[in-house]
Amino acid sequence: MNVIEIKNLTKFYGKARGIKDVSFNVEEGEIFGFIGPNGAGKSTTIRTLLSLIYPTSGSATIFGKDCIKFSPEIKKEIGYLPSEVFYYDNMKVMDLLNYSASFYKKDCTQRIQELAKRLNLDLTKKIDDLSLGNKKKVGIVQGLLHSPKLIILDEPTSGLDPLMQQIFFDLLEEENKKGATILFSSHILSEVQRLCDRVAIIKDGQIIKVEKISTLQENTYKKFKIQCASKVDKKHFDMVGVNDLEENDNVISFIFKGDINTIMKKIAEIEITNLWVVEPDLEEIFMHYYEKEE
Amino acid sequence: MNMFLQELKTYRKSTIIWTASLIGILITVFAMFPSFAKEAEEFKKLLEGFPEVVRNAIGLQVDTMGSILGYYSYIFTYVVLCGAIQAMNLGTSLLSREVREKTADFLLTKPVTRIEVITSKLLAALTSLVITNIVYLTSAYIVATIIKTDDFSGKVFLMISITLFFIQLIFLALGMVLSVLLKRIKSVLPLSLGTVFGFFIAGMLASTTGDDKLRYLTPFKYFDTSYIMQNAAYEGTYIIIGLIFVLGAISATYYIYSKKDIQAL
Repeated sequence: MNVIEIKNLTKFYGKARGIKDVSFNVEEGEIFGFIGPNGAGKSTTIRTLLSLIYPTSGSATIFGKDCIKFSPEIKKEIGYLPSEVFYYDNMKVMDLLNYSASFYKKDCTQRIQELAKRLNLDLTKKIDDLSLGNKKKVGIVQGLLHSPKLIILDEPTSGLDPLMQQIFFDLLEEENKKGATILFSSHILSEVQRLCDRVAIIKDGQIIKVEKISTLQENTYKKFKIQCASKVDKKHFDMVGVNDLEENDNVISFIFKGDINTIMKKIAEIEITNLWVVEPDLEEIFMHYYEKEE
Repeated sequence: MNMFLQELKTYRKSTIIWTASLIGILITVFAMFPSFAKEAEEFKKLLEGFPEVVRNAIGLQVDTMGSILGYYSYIFTYVVLCGAIQAMNLGTSLLSREVREKTADFLLTKPVTRIEVITSKLLAALTSLVITNIVYLTSAYIVATIIKTDDFSGKVFLMISITLFFIQLIFLALGMVLSVLLKRIKSVLPLSLGTVFGFFIAGMLASTTGDDKLRYLTPFKYFDTSYIMQNAAYEGTYIIIGLIFVLGAISATYYIYSKKDIQAL
């Protein structure tokens, strides 16, 4: 069963593009990644699902019901965490969470305590006095306190330190095991890879691909930067899987896709003084993979 | 109900401050009445020295200034000005506050309709205004009774005072519809002060020129205190115009807000 079905969803802000012909489904019980560079249309899609904005054309259903028409009903079972959280400043954390809980017709007190303890969040503080990371925690508790069936997260990890991020991901996985479906938007590939079953990739307002994370992982890219002891001909690295090869003084850089062992052997053949291997950001992957495919 | 209470709490402080200011203005100026009444004749002569245009503009009616109702209706102009700012502020910030403080995402992703959101906010604003008016009216009446030199008609006093609420309704509705029409309101106070003073000055002009058409344009002139004093009645036309405006503006607010895109942060 599909929890979310999006059909040809299009949104223009006046003449400016929001999203164009976006279609994909999220199945019940999966963690679905929604990934793309900033400004690609992730938030626009999510905000339309939540009927914060209205589509220019196309439609979407959640739990089989139109997301605009049955919006209040659907939202009873949705937990939403926006990328930036701002809450009524003059409230205490507990007041805000109670206010949030008052919209759902169930007792959430225990769940609030539980979540706050896990996240190490002080409920007695004023929201005004909280750091960005702590405000984010308020957002997380607020999004999960009513045990929603669908959790929608719009770039949720910004501002969380790695330890908290881990706890947060654990929480999401627990919710998922209990049956919650999760739509997780991000521009960081690694966090989507870590958590999601399937992923939709959006660029310039259009869905480029919907695929399984396992497929995506076969196409892992690494960005290499090598500082050599002496001048090395860059032709040394001219081989299959190497892209964007550049040489600058004694520094050689390229993007590599393929068996990591072959490239390591190649590097071992020369004298190096320093080496950086990083995950390329999405933009780079798009440039070297998706654009070529089209 | 939860939204209504939350809103009420949000505006509690400002309601208290505005109510206190209204009463403050009233008491300060009322306190001068006994000495004013004693030498009313002298004052009248002095005031008659002012050009008529000026007297009209600031709402001075020399003949009635000596009576408590006449004196009250003069102060009342400024009480209404202050009250209009309160209402306009309230109306403008009700919905725009959520956008400015970026809490719209929080509220509108809850299982509520936008209609319910507006209704709760509107009711909270009305409650706040009603409280202001009840407190104001009670204290004004008490002060008037204490300082009166002659008996005065309680009914007329009430009729004049309650126009504060009517005018506040008009500005509340105006503020609300403006807040959904304008794309983003960075700061409420300049907008509401500007609008209210604009209408107030238009009202002064209307008085100096005696132009009836101008009267239609400014809510401050919908309730002519000297007319109320003479006839113990309101002018029907203006009541209807006011009512149509309030209903129209509020319906427009509901309609526009329900269709509006809530922009990303």
